[in-house]
Amino acid sequence: MAMAIAVYPTRMELLKLRQRVGLAQRGHDLLKEKVDALVIEFFEVVRRIQEARAKALEQLSAAHRALLMCFAIMGTLETKQASKEAKRELQVEISTRHIMGIAVPTVEVGEVERNALMRGYSLRMTSSVLDEASREFERALKLLIGLAELEGSAFAIARELERTKRRVNALEYILIPRLKEALKFIVMKLDEIERENFSRLKRIKAMLEERE
Amino acid sequence: MSFKIAVVGDQDTVTGFALAGATYAHISTTKEETLVKLGEFFASDEIGLVLITHRVAEELGHDFRRMLQTKRLLPLVLRIPDKTGYAPEVDELREIIKRTVGVEITIREEGG
Amino acid sequence: MSADRLIKLELSKLNVHLPQRRLSLKEALLSAKPQVVTRDGGVHKFKREELEFLAGLLPEADRDKLQLPILIALEPKLGRGTARISGEAEVKVVSRVLEKEPAAGELLIYRPEVAILRRKLPTTTQYLFLW
Repeated sequence: MAMAIAVYPTRMELLKLRQRVGLAQRGHDLLKEKVDALVIEFFEVVRRIQEARAKALEQLSAAHRALLMCFAIMGTLETKQASKEAKRELQVEISTRHIMGIAVPTVEVGEVERNALMRGYSLRMTSSVLDEASREFERALKLLIGLAELEGSAFAIARELERTKRRVNALEYILIPRLKEALKFIVMKLDEIERENFSRLKRIKAMLEERE
Repeated sequence: MSFKIAVVGDQDTVTGFALAGATYAHISTTKEETLVKLGEFFASDEIGLVLITHRVAEELGHDFRRMLQTKRLLPLVLRIPDKTGYAPEVDELREIIKRTVGVEITIREEGG
Repeated sequence: MSADRLIKLELSKLNVHLPQRRLSLKEALLSAKPQVVTRDGGVHKFKREELEFLAGLLPEADRDKLQLPILIALEPKLGRGTARISGEAEVKVVSRVLEKEPAAGELLIYRPEVAILRRKLPTTTQYLFLW
């Protein structure tokens, strides 16, 4: 793994390398804190998804039951025709908010439920089963919009979590070990040079003393 | 910003959400046609949310997943069960949790 | 990009979600749109129900002392998973929410408590990364 970092054994390099190790260590520790915080945020969203999903799916199956009833009583063709005539202009407000630098969606939706007149299909179509099916689907849609926001947030947080974890691992298992390796090398080399200088000095001193 | 809603799925799902006010709809036919339609929905600046049934999403397979990965933040895409309640065994969120956090938890509530 | 620049970039992004200026609870309660502008120019909104919940935990005289969002300071030197809450009113409120003994000046809380705090006060708390 560790491809050695090329360094010149000088005091200056040693100082620079110590600073690099410090920076890498600090980055590692902080990004690890960030991972922990993201995990907290992620599980909170997941918890809310569990609740929201159960409710939304229950409502969706209730809606499908109401639609089947409508097909049976009003007729399939007539129901489809009504769905084409219906006012289909539901709008949702979507903006983004930031969780630790991650853009996550925020969805706001006004009243989804309408009365029979607002739904727009011609009044000759109106029947209580059609109204019922429409209302049940409106309710399901409202819950699903909330669920979409939560799932969108969960995916966005998960992506950032994976990215940050990769950075932490790269620091922990690659960069920091290499820097420390290089640091060890420099310290060793500098020691060696110092020892050489020391013995050279001793030799010179001895030579000088001999001359006296 | 205000956005409209699109729905992709079987006849019943599309009928139901059209009744509820969804503006755009596509009843899935062939894989190719549905992919083209989804491409339009994803490229539209008007659409903020696309509902698509799990069944159709699965039929589209790899192509759909790639579209999801490369799409912009909007529209949001939500996969939903059809009238049979069908949802795949493998839950994407659960897979992500396993990968990122290394814990297995159950997301889907039983029944519903 | 060099490894060092990449680390510096990551560090520089850690706190961009924090407000340029915090808002006191009193100001927030009086505002029609209680929100702050973040360092990266975004808008962070406070939920009214949270503001009212906080108001219920504090004597009226302390409402202009509580600065929002309440900062959950994560600092590696405290040990992993340990966070610090600073400020008299902030400590008072967080102690009440977590049912901890109130401390003077600052309060140390641990990861499960951070999770509870984030759940109960999702818009009125934020993480602060310190080094």
